[in-house]
Amino acid sequence: MKNILLVCSAGMSTSMLVTKMQESAKEKGIDVMIKAIPQVELNLNLSNADIILLGPQVRFILDQVKASAGKIPVEVIDMTLYGTMNGEKVLMSALEMIGDGK
Amino acid sequence: MMEGLERYCLDLITNVGDARSSFIQAIGAAKHGDFAGAESLIAAGNESFLKGHKVHGELLQKAAGGELGQISLILIHAEDQLMSAEGFKILANEFIDVYKKIAVLS
Repeated sequence: MKNILLVCSAGMSTSMLVTKMQESAKEKGIDVMIKAIPQVELNLNLSNADIILLGPQVRFILDQVKASAGKIPVEVIDMTLYGTMNGEKVLMSALEMIGDGK
Repeated sequence: MMEGLERYCLDLITNVGDARSSFIQAIGAAKHGDFAGAESLIAAGNESFLKGHKVHGELLQKAAGGELGQISLILIHAEDQLMSAEGFKILANEFIDVYKKIAVLS
């Protein structure tokens, strides 16, 4: 199963996006693990992630996360998709990126 | 569907959060002597910050009209992000000035 990890400062707004993404995955019958974590817990969760998505508010840690993520792709979530909590589009683009990377 | 207030909060978090990221990145650019990069990051940050402030203005109007309802955790988080972005905006500009002075001296 694919594992998507979302990171933001407190894990609060990303957890709302996770709910939307999970709803969309359920609708589409996609079996996927999606989890939101605060920045400080990133290293504890790295090992089983297939992709790491950053909220726009933690865009400044992109280089740092890329360095610790190794081969795991790291992307910043599009601002418009984030602001409107478009779980479906975030999910689909994440799955597309995982697909490309393997 | 998202409720009205939640929508405002997320719009606020996204815009001021993006601004905050730019301000922090501007400090990093100045640290590496890239002052043109720092200035353009400040400009990008200001643009997002203004968008966020516009959303905040609308929220204040809702509050004044008694339409805010119950205070939620996400609203507090959005307000916190706004103030954090404002703080970093001030500090980023100060840091850039300091790094410029150091660059002249060294």
